[in-house]
Amino acid sequence: MQVEVSRRKFLQGSVTLSIVGASAVSTTNLFSGEEASEHKSTQSGIPSTITTKTSTKKAENVPYLCGICVNKCAGFARVEDGIVTKLNPNPYFPKSRNMLCARGNAGIQTMYDPDRLKYPMIRIGERGDGKYKRVSWEEAYDAILNGTDKFKGIKQILDEEKDNRATIGYCNGEGLSKEGFEVLVGEKIGSPNYVDEISICLETTLGGYVNTIGTYGEADLNNADYLIIAGANRAEAIITPDTMDLFKRTKGRGLKTIVLDPRFTNTAAKADRWYAVNPGTDLAFVLALTYVVLTEELYDKDFASKHMDGFEDYKQHIISKGYTPQWAEKFTNIPAKEIYKTAREFMAARSPIYYQGRRSVFSKNDFQLRRAMAIFQGLSGNLDKKGGIVYGKKLGLPKEDINSPMYAQVQPRFDKEGIAIPSLKTGSWIVFRNMVLEGKAPYPVRAMFMRKHNPMSGVPNTKKTEAFLRKMDLNVMIDILPSDTTMFADVVLPEASYLERTSPVASYGGLEPAIVQRKAAVKPLFETKVPEQIYKELAEKLSKPLWEITQKYDEDVQDDTKGMSAEEIEKYYKENGFDLAEPWEKTVHEQNEEKIVEAFGKEAWEALEEKGVYYPNMDKYYQQLNPNEFQYYPENKKNYSVKGDTLKVVVNFKNLAKKGVDPMPTWRDDMAFSVPEGKFRLVTGRHAQFTQSGTTNNMMLRDLIPTNYIWINNKKCEQMGIKFGDKVEVKSNIGKVTIMAYPTNKIAPNQIFMLHGFGGSSEQMEFATGNGANDALLIEDKIEPVYGAAVMHETNVEIRKV
Amino acid sequence: MNLNKIIPYKKMSLKELLTPDNKLMALIAVVLTALFFIGVINVLVHGHEIYNVTKDHPWGLLIAMYIFFVVSSTGLCIVGSFGDVFDFKVFAPSSKRAILGSIVTILSGFAVIAFEIGHPVRMMIYNVLTPGLTSAIWWMGTLYGLYLTFMIIEFIFLMREDMKNAKIFGLIGLLVGLAAHSNLGAVFGFLNTRLVSNGVFYPTYFILTAFITGIYLTFLMYGYYYRGKSFPENINNMLVNFAKIQGLLIAILIFFEAWKMLTGYYGGVPGRADVITHILSGNTFWLGEFMCGMFIPFIVILFSKGKATKLMVPASLIGMVGIFFMRYDLVHDTQLMPMQNFMTRVYQEMPGFVEYFPSNTEMMIGFGAIGLCLVLYYLGTKLFDLTSTCHAD
Amino acid sequence: MARYGMALDYKNCINCKACEVACKEENGVLLGADKHRIWVGVNELEGEWPNIALSSSVFMPSQCQHCDNAPCQEVCPTNATYYDENHVVRVDVDKCILCSYCVEACPYGARYEDPRTVTMDKCTFCSDTRLARGETTTACQNTCPTKVRTFGDLDDPNSEISQLLRNREHFSLKANLGTKPKLFYLM
Repeated sequence: MQVEVSRRKFLQGSVTLSIVGASAVSTTNLFSGEEASEHKSTQSGIPSTITTKTSTKKAENVPYLCGICVNKCAGFARVEDGIVTKLNPNPYFPKSRNMLCARGNAGIQTMYDPDRLKYPMIRIGERGDGKYKRVSWEEAYDAILNGTDKFKGIKQILDEEKDNRATIGYCNGEGLSKEGFEVLVGEKIGSPNYVDEISICLETTLGGYVNTIGTYGEADLNNADYLIIAGANRAEAIITPDTMDLFKRTKGRGLKTIVLDPRFTNTAAKADRWYAVNPGTDLAFVLALTYVVLTEELYDKDFASKHMDGFEDYKQHIISKGYTPQWAEKFTNIPAKEIYKTAREFMAARSPIYYQGRRSVFSKNDFQLRRAMAIFQGLSGNLDKKGGIVYGKKLGLPKEDINSPMYAQVQPRFDKEGIAIPSLKTGSWIVFRNMVLEGKAPYPVRAMFMRKHNPMSGVPNTKKTEAFLRKMDLNVMIDILPSDTTMFADVVLPEASYLERTSPVASYGGLEPAIVQRKAAVKPLFETKVPEQIYKELAEKLSKPLWEITQKYDEDVQDDTKGMSAEEIEKYYKENGFDLAEPWEKTVHEQNEEKIVEAFGKEAWEALEEKGVYYPNMDKYYQQLNPNEFQYYPENKKNYSVKGDTLKVVVNFKNLAKKGVDPMPTWRDDMAFSVPEGKFRLVTGRHAQFTQSGTTNNMMLRDLIPTNYIWINNKKCEQMGIKFGDKVEVKSNIGKVTIMAYPTNKIAPNQIFMLHGFGGSSEQMEFATGNGANDALLIEDKIEPVYGAAVMHETNVEIRKV
Repeated sequence: MNLNKIIPYKKMSLKELLTPDNKLMALIAVVLTALFFIGVINVLVHGHEIYNVTKDHPWGLLIAMYIFFVVSSTGLCIVGSFGDVFDFKVFAPSSKRAILGSIVTILSGFAVIAFEIGHPVRMMIYNVLTPGLTSAIWWMGTLYGLYLTFMIIEFIFLMREDMKNAKIFGLIGLLVGLAAHSNLGAVFGFLNTRLVSNGVFYPTYFILTAFITGIYLTFLMYGYYYRGKSFPENINNMLVNFAKIQGLLIAILIFFEAWKMLTGYYGGVPGRADVITHILSGNTFWLGEFMCGMFIPFIVILFSKGKATKLMVPASLIGMVGIFFMRYDLVHDTQLMPMQNFMTRVYQEMPGFVEYFPSNTEMMIGFGAIGLCLVLYYLGTKLFDLTSTCHAD
Repeated sequence: MARYGMALDYKNCINCKACEVACKEENGVLLGADKHRIWVGVNELEGEWPNIALSSSVFMPSQCQHCDNAPCQEVCPTNATYYDENHVVRVDVDKCILCSYCVEACPYGARYEDPRTVTMDKCTFCSDTRLARGETTTACQNTCPTKVRTFGDLDDPNSEISQLLRNREHFSLKANLGTKPKLFYLM
């Protein structure tokens, strides 16, 4: 399917679509409103064309932090007559070092997306059919509290559940306003049932590293000279500053780079060597590297004896298990002699790094893989030093005290089935959802409060997510676009996009720590509101009615307040945190000022306001070295080594054994990669011009990558008679999709690849709907055993030309 | 002022003027002209976006048709000059008709190009104010403007039977026309980056094929005039001579083409040899250019020793179809090789040869202009006496 | 008065297309523009899985070469294409007649029609936007994550680009045509 945008129609200020092979999409609905699909400029503050040439007029340059992905690169928004005409990189931020990627530059199109959520809405049709009524904010809050004839309100639900706050589940997407939502629903309203992107993302990476070397750390790619980068595609999944530093030194320019990836990525394109490793077998590769290093005694003996806890156990474990390169060759598809070569080169290098990686969990052994990688890094001794994996420092900000009320009736979270170490905070999306769905939850979960999160696309097995959402009595969504998940909300609260809001200040640690602030470039468009204002207003609306329910069922509160006068009860209510709106008494901007002035003084605040970035001595340290390079900290002020003798690598983690987890990385036979004849292993991933389902409706990015295709090995395609652009049906145990074929030599004959995030079903997103295929419809909802994180690469599929 | 004193014409009523003697031909002319105007309205309403030309193939059918018309004009100018400029008595009967033909064809060409370029009025202004003297298009356009002027003056003197002045302006017109026309060839010949067109070939080839086109059209004009009748002796005599010249010219053209293809193919130079291979594997070259434009007329001439003047009329019509393909192919083939020979999007195949097929509007304007040409020619033949032969005695 | 050029450390390029989007947003380029004003070219990968030739995987960022001897300028019948005071190849939209001869002549495919003005458009080195406001870089240089581009005055021996070109080997695209490009690819 191809969406053709007539350029001529753009001239006239409107976009007309002809969708080849699909029914036309209606734009006459509430979501799109009167500005349907057009930048008509009827509303001031909306540009009249899709792209606006910048003028030579004076303009305001507002420092902001990018929100198109998780990186938080800093930029300046150029604002001309109240319209953002251009986003420019901010040179002051040491993390993003004066860069904005394609997505960052295209952020304007997300803000001015004609399909944005513009007004509060409540559902008047059935779930999923897209029928909504535009209401005022007050009516929307009221619907959340009291419900309508179509859905129940939270007051009734909590009343029926006798104030068990755990009946409310909530989920949240990454971002600077994330914490506020957790404060509102978790701390203040009191729900323990929180799930977010962690359990469908990098949970095991973080867990593996933190439990081994005490941190995820930062790879000092500016000074490393040897890099193994496995399953991390830094050229296409851009992370600052790693991506920026890495590729300036590849291709024989100082950083020898070994890439492991089942498919040939743009990162592989920059490598000195690319190994087409079998999916999920990196662990065998690392164990074999370790074997070579231990048997040939190539490791940093001094470091091992000083800092590695359980080193001798591990040495004996690795050698006795016989993790030889010859052994690993069978599993990994990497020749033994290449493994020998890589292990020896790694240890001979001055500053070698086995890149930690940062991505979704792909295989069940991911936690052990990360442990093995971290230990292997330790064997080189290249930790906590220049050119290695460093710990860095973080600039402290005053901690906010949240006055969290105690609810006696609230039940604990339950999503622990099949999990060795359940996360108390973020839970497991799959286990939580499936247990609710299968009736395994010990109490009914009846409402979902959701914000900036699209589990219909992000969590494997979309059908189950849909069934889960349909099971709820109340779904509330705060978002900027009508995502697939929004279509199942009963109340939709439109949020201001990141260019329209001032966000809580953030501190970024590392080699060159800094404080950053996102400032609103323009006022919120339409009737949208900044998230913190929504939290506040919703809290004000819910506070007293929910307090009354607590008073009705909570025996602790009843005991405490017995015999109190109304005034005393009011005081109790305030002092014990039952006043839900209290954290948002001040605006975000006021809170930011307070914090910064308290921690760093008035001048710091002024610098932050003007430049968006602050760190101590910035005025002295910061200088532009040439058109492309900046100094943030002088060399001797960078936090290369901070740990000293406290540096510890936990090699033999004995406590894990008590939870049934291998205390040292161990290969299990069921980790081997195999695909039945006639099937393919589905692998997914990201792309540099596209951030998952969040940018599928961004017109600028759609220009660069209109849809996803399925990568199929070119020789295999010849056998199957599949040509470029042919439609194929991809089928797994849980669902099927139709997608166009991309025959390529970049992937193995028994694997296929599909970009994640396409295939949206929300008809309110004109460009995204029905475009490409949603991999979450195919990926089976399997979890890894340590944290219960979703495993993305363990689904086999069949493909058939249609 | 009496117009007739400037240029003698036949006086007739409007009704008489609009009464054609061949209904079928009139119908063809009117339908084509109507298509031309529909096309023009289309482009005025929708802009150039309704042409199928792209960034990779910016020149299409309209450029080909423009070349087709101006080549015809130059050819007829050469043919016409045989009689009145060079005093070949045997060719004298053709002069008036040929010069009229050269005027109506170039006017049709201008009509086409006016809707091909984006801003024809702006062109006339800045052609004069800020001339681009290194531009072959500037020279070609400017010289064709002058050429048209001289052709009209020559035609006026021919009509006034002032052969002395006709000869002077005919000669100047011819020289300017040849200069203009070889510059049109140079428009392509100067394209250093397009190996298949770059070099001396097109400027000379244009003159040669113009001459061939002129003779084909002469056959068509006389064939139509004497339709259903036999040619008078002096006309027949002239046509036999034209046929013999045509035989020689086609032989030279085949020789030229053969060497162009061979030198282009030789050595396998990328961007040239692959384009030649592509050209030689296509029907537009073999059927269009070679069979129609060269081989069939050449066979007719060869086997009749040039004497089959009646048979030469349909052969010339086939020849003109071939000439069209020569123009179309030269425009298309020049642009076959993409200048950006790489992929820029993830899901994309390597670009191959650039493809192009004219849109309906382009066809309406391009082919419709033939109707315009026929109408103008019809009016010319009605209004002016083209039959009398005169000599500057 | 300068002679602007650009050096491209093209091996840094990861084909992320930040430059393309920054250019489109800065200069108000219409959507649908592929290979129009700025682009990253990719060739077909050689070899079969898993033996792909790493040497064949090159990303070539490019745009108008701002030739010192520009074919597009030479063929322009109305001198609508001109060298501005900074030797940047520009188009005067008031003079352009849209004959498209420059498109035929440009060896780099760097020109396209802007349907709004119905004239030719091309990379201007941000002359009418950023440089006109007194900024010193182009949108593409400024935004690049891996800092491929260095923009500057070739006539100033102290400029970063002059130093780069003195000290590092470089080549130009289609140099055999004698166009004298002012885009230099660093090796």
